[in-house]
Formats: sequence, C-alpha cells, structure tokens
Amino acid sequence: MDSHTNNIYKPLRATLEDVIEESPLIKTFVLTPDEEFVFKTGQFIELSVDGVGEAPFTPSSSPLVTDRLEVTVMKTGYVTGIMHELKPGAVMGIRGPYGRGYPVSEFEGKEVLILGGGCGLAPIRSLLYTLEHMKDDLEKVILCYGSKTPADCIYKPLFSRLNSIDKFEAHRTVDITDDDWDGPVGVATILLDNVKVRIDNSVAVVCGPPIMMKFGTIRLLEMGYRDVQIYLSMEKNMSCGLGKCGHCMMGEFFVCKDGPVFTYNEIKHNPEIWK
Amino acid sequence: MFYAGIRKEDWHRSLEKLLTTYDIFVPVKDEFSLDYEPFRPGQADRIAYNTPKPATPLKNFFLPVRENVTSARAGSKPRIIIGVPNCDIEALMLLDEIYLDEVFADPWYRSRRDSTILVASDCYTVDDHCHCLSYGVKPWSMAHADMAILAEGDQIFLRVMSETGKEIAEQLTDIYSVDDAAAVSFAEQRHSETEELLTALNAGLPDYTTTGEIIQKAGDQIWEKYAAKCVSCGACTTICPTCSCFLLIDKPDFEKVKQMDACQYPGFERVAGGEDALFELHRRFRNRYMCKYVWRPQQFNSLACTGCGRCIEACIGKINKNELFMELT
Repeated sequence: MDSHTNNIYKPLRATLEDVIEESPLIKTFVLTPDEEFVFKTGQFIELSVDGVGEAPFTPSSSPLVTDRLEVTVMKTGYVTGIMHELKPGAVMGIRGPYGRGYPVSEFEGKEVLILGGGCGLAPIRSLLYTLEHMKDDLEKVILCYGSKTPADCIYKPLFSRLNSIDKFEAHRTVDITDDDWDGPVGVATILLDNVKVRIDNSVAVVCGPPIMMKFGTIRLLEMGYRDVQIYLSMEKNMSCGLGKCGHCMMGEFFVCKDGPVFTYNEIKHNPEIWK
Repeated sequence: MFYAGIRKEDWHRSLEKLLTTYDIFVPVKDEFSLDYEPFRPGQADRIAYNTPKPATPLKNFFLPVRENVTSARAGSKPRIIIGVPNCDIEALMLLDEIYLDEVFADPWYRSRRDSTILVASDCYTVDDHCHCLSYGVKPWSMAHADMAILAEGDQIFLRVMSETGKEIAEQLTDIYSVDDAAAVSFAEQRHSETEELLTALNAGLPDYTTTGEIIQKAGDQIWEKYAAKCVSCGACTTICPTCSCFLLIDKPDFEKVKQMDACQYPGFERVAGGEDALFELHRRFRNRYMCKYVWRPQQFNSLACTGCGRCIEACIGKINKNELFMELT
C-alpha cells in the first residue's frame, strides 16, 4: 500500500511551479503532479500543505491538460492562510479527483448560461476551457460574473479573450465601484436582465458564495429556467472526499461523492442547502 | 448452515489451541459491565455466553479511535471475536457498505474485516434499552456472522453459517454432529423466550418503516426540548455501532491520521468561510436522528440504527431516544 493509487488516503505529490496573484485575497497555484493527473471539469481535489492540513478545491485549469494543474485559492482560513505563504518549489499533496463534475455532454446543442461570483469563477474557468474545446457542439456560452470590487475580479484577461471567441460572451459587474470602473454596478444577478438566451434550449450553471447561489437560482427560476436546467456547485466541508467521513453531508447526500455539482431539482427539497 | 455440538470444556480447550494462530476476544462480565477482553488460557470460566451486548460496539474492532492511514504497518494475527450480539452484526453491514464501497474501499477496514472471524451470540436475555426487534432485527444471527454460539449447561451448540465458520469448526477438539432438528428446536425455544421479553419491552415503539417519517415531521420544538439536556459530549455517537464519521489530520511527510469524529461536536460542518449548518446545538442533535432514520435509509440498504439502545445508556443528560419517539408517535 505504498502508492497513492491503492491507498485512498495517500496523496500524490505535486511541485508548486508558480504562484499567480489574482486579487488581494486570491492566488492561483500552478502545480506539476508527480504522475499524470486526470480529472473531469467540476470534480474537486483535496490539496494539502505538508503537515498542516488539506482543503477541497475544484481545479481552475483545463481537464485537457494532465501534466499541470492550476488551483485557485481564496485566503479564508487556517490552511489557505498558510497556502498563501508558499513559494514556488514547495511540494504539496493532491488527493482525488473526487465527485461528480459538470455533465458537459448534456450541454451539447444548448446555450450555456453561467453565473459566477467571487472565487466561484475558479471552477467555472475550468468549465469554460472545456466548453471552448467543444464549442462546435454548443449554441452559445454566456458568462455573467460579479466581484465585490474591480480589484477583486480574478482572471481579468479571461473576459476579453472570451469575448473574442465565436459563440462566447462575457459580462462583468461589481458590487462596489472605483474611479476606473465604467461597467455595471450591482450583484451578479443584475447581468441576467440583459442576456439574450433561449431558455427552453439552455442550461444554467451557478457557482459562487452561498448567498449568490441562492439568489442566482431564484432569479433563474423567475426567468423561466426549470429545476432540472440549473446546475449548482455546492460548497460543504468536504474532508475525506470518499463518501465516508460525514463532514459534507447535505441531507441524504455526501456532497463529495454525490456532488459537488447537483441540479437544483436534485436538492431543492432540502431547505438547508443554502446554509 | 448446520448445527454442531461441543462440550464447554472442549470448546475452551479448543480456544486455547486456536490462540497460536488467532487473537481471540471474548465477552467478560464483571461487577461494572459486560465487555470484550482478550481470551487468556485458564480464564474460560469468566466468559459470559448469550447475554446481551458488550459495552464496546463491534465497530471499534474495525474502526479504531485513531490510526495512521498512510504508512504501512506490520500485519497482526487474524482475530476471532466471540459473543457478538446480532444488533452489532447488523450494524456492521452498514459499515461494510460505507467502507467497502466499490470505488473507494478503505484498505485498513478491508484487511481487518478479511482477517476477523465473527462468532455471534444468540441473546437469551434482554437489557433495559434493547429494542432490536422493533426495527426488525432479531436478537440472534442467522446469516452475517461465521458462527453463532448457544450455550446450554455444560454443552454448546454451534450454528455454522459460513465457509470460514466451517473451517474453524473443523479445528475444534471433539466437536460432534447433532441432529439439526433437535438443535433448531432448542434454538427456537430460546428465541421465542427472548422475543417475548422484547415484545413486552418494546411495546408502542415505532418500527423502522415509520421512524423516518416521524423524525422528518418533527418540528424544532421537539429538538429544542430534547437538546436542552444535551451537552454535545458525543457519547451517543461514540457508543453507536453504526456512527462512523471521522476527521483526517495531517502529519509531516504527507501522512494522515484518521480519528473518529461526530456530528454532535461543534464545528463538524463548519467551512472555512464561516458557514455552519449545524451551528446550533439542537440542529446537531436533530442531525443524528435525521442521519439514522431519514438520510442513511435513502442511500444504503442496511439499517443505520439496529436498536442496541447503547446511546440511551451512555447519555449523561439521560436523553432517551425511545421516549422522543413515543412522544411523537
């Protein structure tokens, strides 16, 4: 039981190649795993700092790249605080990939409306890479993203790049403006007022802080989206990732195993999903 | 499945012989409690046969309180655990579903399970809070153990239920074949006596097909009322034969230590951003009931409560879950 492959608790080692500062609180860690690392977009990993702790993150890089992995981390607690101090050359641990990602094959022939907030753009970026790769099979991809301030927006160059890709459009808003910002001001959902989308042939993806997930879903339902057309990436305290430790239980589901991506239809009966 | 007989002293001599190959655990009763102890030569008269549940739930043999799950370790001897009540055998079925899951089997649980022989015990008596029968669990084991033991005076009947059980039976000194019909009739007599005791003791308790609905309908008022006496000590989850949640702790060199944990402890579901769906004590208290009677039954085939009643006995706040159910029924 020496390899990580037959001991479910053993991490694969990965070398930190680069640390990219995305915003004052968010950094992207570029990692080279010791072995090829294959994941599906929307699946998550447990990323560990040696001897300190591990935490769940959905890779923000393309699943088509298997020798390099990017993980975008907001400094929020103990483990992420220490992670933010790491310098290139450090060795980190990866377990996974875990759970059920975005069912992208079901998006074929459809318009994909993506609503993101804050660090929720990390999993979405991985999804966007995947959708870009399959764009011939898609009708349209619309990204609506909100950050607290213009400085808090991550992956800024991503937006102009997306707008230059055929079938793709990207919109941004901020909650609090500054002198240089001349775009929309307000929460991410306000961007939905102006998007042109054929709802009956569309799916919606929501990823962001819990409050945004809640009001984003409510707004999408008002727009006419059905429960089965809304995909939510749920955030819980996934610890083992293996459907065993119980920390991520959300009603009858282990978010780590049954999620983290759920349709709203699958979880709407549980009033506690937004907590 | 078949029955065999052995004189008690031959059985004890056989156990001493088996000690060269196996670690053997037996239930021993003292003035405080009944619990498993390692079997030692010359101490066979301390073994308690066919009494209800040892204090330690069977899960502890498979899920240690704390263990390093990343570093290789020397293998230990295979084990024989004697005197396991059926409530614990059935509880192990749920742990098997969780820990031997097709995609992510726990290698440590697997190796312990593979190297453990289970000798069940038919309960001849009941404890104050035994209520297996109300959940459809019989106080005797017919399938999920390797053998079961039924003592009668200086004789022992063995119900042999698996190939492994048969192999062990073949190693026993002076084991003799018995007329199955006679053994069955003896067992049935014992079973009906225990069943009668349980039926009287469990009168009015809801069965497992209705407990989920009852819990789901219960309002905050009931949780607040019962949780008022709860101090989040986690005794109920520690002693529960099906509670198996844990925490992974990181150690240098990417080692992980797995330690038993419980939803009753503050912060169990807290995420780094601060959200905590189980912040309030009564929410944590409710979580345990929802898990056992609503959520686990939706995801697994095995029972998440087998009616052993240990949680009632362990609670320092004297919270009795059966009283809660009676209040709601």
